[in-house]
Formats: sequence, C-alpha cells, structure tokens
Amino acid sequence: MQRRQFIKSMAATLVLFKTPNAVAKALSASSPKSGNKKIIWVVLRGAMDSLHTLVPTFDTELSVLRPKLLASIKDDLLMLDNGFALHPSLSNLHQWYKKGELLPITAVSSGYAKRSHFDGQDYLESGLANIDHDTGWLGRAVNMKDKQALAIANSTPISLRSSEASTWYPSQLKEADEDVYQALMKMYQNDELLINRLEDGLAVKEMADTMVGDRTLNIKKKGQFIELSKSCANLMMGNNGVDCAMLELGGWDTHNNQATRLSRQLKALDQGLKALKDGLKDQWKDTVVVVATEFGRTVKENGTGGTDHGTASAMFIAGGSVNGGKVLGDWPGLKNNQLFEQRDLMPTSNTFSWLATVLSQQWSLSDNQLKAVFPQVDKRTVKLFLG
Amino acid sequence: MATTSMIAVNRFGYGAKPNELILVAQSPKEWLIKQLSQSPPVAFNYSLPSSSDIFIQLHAYRKNKKVAKKIAQELAGKDFDKQMSMEGVVTKKARNPAHKLLNQLSSDAIDQAIRSDHSLNWRLLDFFSNHFSVSASGPVMTAIAPTLEREAIAPNLLGNFEDLLLSVCQHPAMLIYLNNERSFGTNSQINKNGRGKKKVGLNENLAREILELHTLGVNGGYQQQDVTALAKGITGWSVARIGRDEGSGFLYRANGHEPGSLTLLGKSYKKSRKNAKQGEMMLRDLANHPATARHISFKLAYHFISEQPPESLINKMVKRWLATKGNIREVMITLINAEESWHADSQKFKTPREFVISSLRSIGDNKKLNLRQLMKSLSALGQKPFSAGSPAGFSDSGNDWNGGSAIMARINWSAALSSKLSFKHTVNVETIMSNSFGKNISELSYNTILRAESKEQAMTLLLMSPEFQRR
Repeated sequence: MQRRQFIKSMAATLVLFKTPNAVAKALSASSPKSGNKKIIWVVLRGAMDSLHTLVPTFDTELSVLRPKLLASIKDDLLMLDNGFALHPSLSNLHQWYKKGELLPITAVSSGYAKRSHFDGQDYLESGLANIDHDTGWLGRAVNMKDKQALAIANSTPISLRSSEASTWYPSQLKEADEDVYQALMKMYQNDELLINRLEDGLAVKEMADTMVGDRTLNIKKKGQFIELSKSCANLMMGNNGVDCAMLELGGWDTHNNQATRLSRQLKALDQGLKALKDGLKDQWKDTVVVVATEFGRTVKENGTGGTDHGTASAMFIAGGSVNGGKVLGDWPGLKNNQLFEQRDLMPTSNTFSWLATVLSQQWSLSDNQLKAVFPQVDKRTVKLFLG
Repeated sequence: MATTSMIAVNRFGYGAKPNELILVAQSPKEWLIKQLSQSPPVAFNYSLPSSSDIFIQLHAYRKNKKVAKKIAQELAGKDFDKQMSMEGVVTKKARNPAHKLLNQLSSDAIDQAIRSDHSLNWRLLDFFSNHFSVSASGPVMTAIAPTLEREAIAPNLLGNFEDLLLSVCQHPAMLIYLNNERSFGTNSQINKNGRGKKKVGLNENLAREILELHTLGVNGGYQQQDVTALAKGITGWSVARIGRDEGSGFLYRANGHEPGSLTLLGKSYKKSRKNAKQGEMMLRDLANHPATARHISFKLAYHFISEQPPESLINKMVKRWLATKGNIREVMITLINAEESWHADSQKFKTPREFVISSLRSIGDNKKLNLRQLMKSLSALGQKPFSAGSPAGFSDSGNDWNGGSAIMARINWSAALSSKLSFKHTVNVETIMSNSFGKNISELSYNTILRAESKEQAMTLLLMSPEFQRR
C-alpha cells in the first residue's frame, strides 16, 4: 500500500471512532485555499529589549541611561522616521519598512506588570485577565473562524490551546514502520488523548512529508529559527496549507553582554522573517506576521553590560498588504518621571489592542467575537492594511 | 487500575527493573520510605571531575589556546590568511573540554538512575535539579551546569530545604548562570576604589528567580523592593577565578557587598560586610516562609501525584514542612503516607527523561545504549539535560510533552531501541511485560502487543502503550 493511501484509509477509519478533526480536515480534498488570509504569530521568549531594537535616537536621555549599549550600535543604525531607528542586524526588516510592509509599534505592553518571564509569557499567550493555561487568544480566534492552525513546536503552546491546532517539529529520529502506527491506532482506541495526538502527529507528518521536502538538513540546522521559518512557510502553502501558524524564538533575556547577544538574536529573527516571506511567495500579500515579546527591559543598562526585566517593549506587524512604513504608538519619554516605577519604559498602548485589530481586519472577527478573545481591550481604529 | 506496588514503582520511582515489582509487592509504602533513609541518597560516579577540577581544566584550555595563537602568529608572520589557518592547526591541539564534560556528567546521572535500587531518590534528585534549573549555555556553563546536582543538591536531598537552598545559591553553577558572580553594590568598596573609572553594579537576576521560582513562588507576596533588597543582600556572592583568587568555588567578595541594613518582606537584616551572613539569613528565612512551604509542596504533589493535586494533600505537606523546618525527607514521607497519593488511575504523562529511564529499566540492561546515544535520545525527544533554557526548568505538565509531534518522536525512538534489542535475540516481550506491569495492563494493550508481527514491533508497542506512557 502506498503511504498516502495508507494514511488516508487510516484517517477514514478514525472518523468512525470520533468526530472528524485535524486529520480529516488536513487530508480532505478541500478546494484550493487561495486568497485565504493568513496569520503568523511569532513569540520572542525572554523579554526583548526594545530600546536596543527600535531605537529612539531623538531622546537625549538614551545616551545617559545606556552609554555603552548605545555606543555599540550608534554608528550603524538603520534610520526610520521621526528619529526612530532599527538595530543594524535588522536589514531585511528595514527593507520591508521602506517598502511599506512593516509597522513597528513602540511602547506596548500586555498589561502584565510583574516582571516574571514565565507568567508574562503565559499572560501574553492566554490573553485573559487571569492566566488560563488551557486556552490561548489565537486558539479562541481560530475556533471562531473555523481556521486551521499549526504550531512549529513539539506540543501546543498556550497561544493556540483550546483549538485543534496541530504541532510539527523537525525530527532527529529515523521513522518507525507504518504498521506500528496502525497497531497503535488500535491500541489507543479507548484512550482519547493518545489517539488524538497520534492522529494529529500522523496528519502533520503526511503534510510535512509532501511539503517540507528537504530531509537532508543536519540536526543542528533543523532546529534553527531560519530553518523552522522555511518549514513553516512550506507547511502554509498549497491546498492543504494551514491558515495560521505560530513560531517561537528564545534567547532574549540579556542580563549581560547584551550588545553581542542581541546582534546575534536580531539577525536570527531578521533572517527567519525573510525566510517566511520568501517561502510564502505570492501568499505573502495575504499574510500578516505579528512579532511580540512578554515585556521589555530596564531603560538603564545594568552593571554587567545588560539590562534587567522591565515593562513596555516593542512589537512588529508585517505583511504584503500591511499599511506600513511608519512607526506606531506614542513615545512616553525616558525622563525619570516619565518611566514606569522610575525604571521601565512606560506603556502607551496595549499589545492585545493591536492583536485585536489584526484579528478584526485580517479575519473579520466581529466585536462580540473580539470580546471573547480579548475581554479586556477594544480594537483600535487605525487601518493596518492597504485597500 | 493499578495495584499499590505498580503505583509505588511508577508514580514514585523510575519504573520497575526486572523482578522489582515482586520484591515491592510485600510492602510498597515501606519500600519507598526505606529508600529515604539511604545514605547517601543517590551515588554518582565520583571519579568524574568536580566543578573545581573543571575550572582548572577550562583555565588550562584558555591558556593553551592563547599560547597556540601566539605560536601561530610567530610562524605565519604578517600574512593574515596564513595566520588564521596556522591558528586552526595549532589550536586544534588545545581542545575545549566543555561538551565532553557535559555529556559525561549528565549521562552519569541517567545511567545511575537506570541501575538504581532507589529510584525514588533519583526522581527526587531530578525534581530538585529541575527546580533549580541551570542551562548549559556558553563554554563555562556547558561544563559546570551538570555539577550543581552532584555537588549542591545530592548531599542535601533529604535534609532541610534551607540547607539545600543555600548550597545551591552558593554554587558556582547557579551564581554564574544567573549572573550573580559579578553583581556588586553600587555603594560597595569596589566602586569607591574604582577611581570612577569602571563602575560595577547590581544585577537582580538571581535574586528575582530565588523569590519567584526557588522559594515563595510568583504569587508569594513579594514586591520589586524585595527583589532589590535580596539582590543587595547577596551582592559579593561570587566565584573564585583560577590564577587570580585563592582557592576555587564560592567566594564572598566583601568589598563588593552593598553596605547597610536591608529590609526583605518587612523584616530588617543588619549589615554584615565581613561575611555572607546577611544574604544567608535572608535565604534561611525565605526557605521557611509559609509561601515557600506551599509553593514547593504543591510542586512536589504536582510532580509525583497529579496535575490537580487535592488541597487536603498540599495542606498535610505544608503542615509537615512547617513542623520540621522544611525537612524534605519528612515531607516526602507525608506525601507517601497520604491516601490522596494512591488513586488507581495514572494521571501523569511521563516526561521524555522519565520515559527513557523507565524504558531502559524495563529491559534490565543499561548497555543497550551507550552514554552518547542516551544524550542523543533525550535531545531528540526534546529534553536534553541542562537545556531547559530558562531558570524555570522543563515543564512538568503532560500537555507540554504529548503533542502530536512529540508522540511521533517517541514512537520512532521506541522503534529504534526495540530494533537494537531484537537484533540480539535476547528480548522476551512477555517477560518484560510481566516485569513492567504485573497484571496491570488492559486486555486491549496486552493483546495488541502479543499479536504484533515481530518481537521488535511488540517491544515498540509495549513502550508506547498507554500503561507505559503514564504513571
């Protein structure tokens, strides 16, 4: 039996066991999903330092508060408008900005103000006033619009929980024989969780086998952000492509040696985002990528060439139809009395309000639906997309 | 529905070795409690290098590399390209020992856990190693991350939590990982002597994680001012530099300590410049704080018993914690004796580490995978030792380990292991099944395993059975 037939026949058996889910959806011969609006959610874990990324060169306090950090990038900054600049590593994002495909937003915060990474990330992903580990904002939106979502991860991150999102991550292992899967399907028939996960794994494996293609990459490379981004783009293309994906990039907790570390991190981010666009080809015009982090970092550099946990940070919205080429968000200032608790950048807009706006304009969520996704905030009136 | 011996071996231990289930059957609780009197609680291969040895090795490596660089420059003269290639040739001899050390030390722990008759203690060691998670990032941390559990956690594993906490927070691995080794008071002597040239400052990373992760917990009622106070209290807690300082390991740099008394959680701690007392007093009080008792009791119950641990169980543990000054052995005995711990259904999904260790225990032969393969296995399953990448450690929630992609990886790994076994024709699946489950296996799983088309496939199905995946 051919692999494809085998999995399909297996998927058909599954439907007898339970309601059709990701497998049936992924494998059904649905009509091409051209013109489908896509959302890619990128979470930067570890608190990205916005003052070193989206740099307010016009604020004279900056060189006083962080002399060494600023000196490390000052001469090579990539200028935007109104005195804002991008870190030198973000050359691709700079191109996007010039083409009008990028919207940097300054001084945003999810409203979480306690400076714990883990709570901060859970809060950003959950989107609710009280963190709920079983449901994420993107998962709720996916359910409402009956979209198909994929997390590039080994297990579903909180953002996509409560939806039937699939997970995919490159495997370092040789694959088992297919009759093993069949025997396991049988063995798991009374175990709802395991059968669900196995179905999901098989469905995504099928997609990945046909779409990701290149299996010659070595293991180390496979897990790199740029490779994950390439695979993500591939999995989003074509007839069975998903509508929505989530990527994660860690390593932003720069308590020390920040100048070197962020140069590397931002380069990885920049190249990964470029790989997404390149891989999505003509779908780029229907895609919006949103990049955010759990919170920002102290405005003052610390004693070890880094920065500590802070409050407001920056986020990015990008895509082929984004009404970009300007920096959004109000600048709060860096004078001592303008800071949050006299140490952090003061938030001037809520991350969730931007995400709500993206959902409203990209996926046409109604106001009532948005209330269920983000009960605490309203969408904004700004037009994020062209046309 | 599991029997008590099955629960004892799986929920509390690392799964049954051959014949262990029969041995335990007489008195499962006593079998567990007896392990907690084992001295030492866990034993490593102590012929492997200690953190002090490692610092010397790293120092020698850096020195050799410098020398090699110089030689290369002399040999190559002014030709830059030639210099670079010469440098490559010469420095190859000065090999960075970090990765080998990481693999040796972390696979030793796994190897010991596979062979141990006291697998409860190994579970507990792994719990606290993850509670005090350090990651192998950068050349120094890569080499010394695995020494924290060997040197600071294992000796205090069954003692009072305050000693464990103090020992961990004064170990070089933790001090370097969370950047405390160069955190100094802004008003300290170092800054006054510095002639205004190079100011050093406070880094609050370790202090914050102590409050948030190691002791009180994120909702434990502390504020930013408490983080700052604790950070000041442990300024000067540093690590000796080989060749520059005397000795090795923890070094209290009195001249980097922030002077003056400090207030933490409303309590005042008087100044102590000469020694580390001020910070130590703070840590001891934090260890015995009711919020800490609750935070860690909850984590223990969540880890061993259920992701919705009953409040009554937590209360029993907290009470015992507060009555015994946080004695971990006593709190564990309370956990073992509590009826809430013995529900028949297995609610916890094994982490990759638990899965790999219990798989190899079930086979009763730890030579099937060499130590390098062990490390590769854990890496492929998403839980390479000391790679959590965050001080919160690896997740202890089943949902983070049982995604579709993770299940596929487990299947592939099980198939690879099984193919190694059947190759040598030594595997008797029925025996392994009876050793692993006794009678605690559903008819469906039993039949599917026995009807497999090959020994190899049967073994894969056994390892992937719902009964083996949960504990």
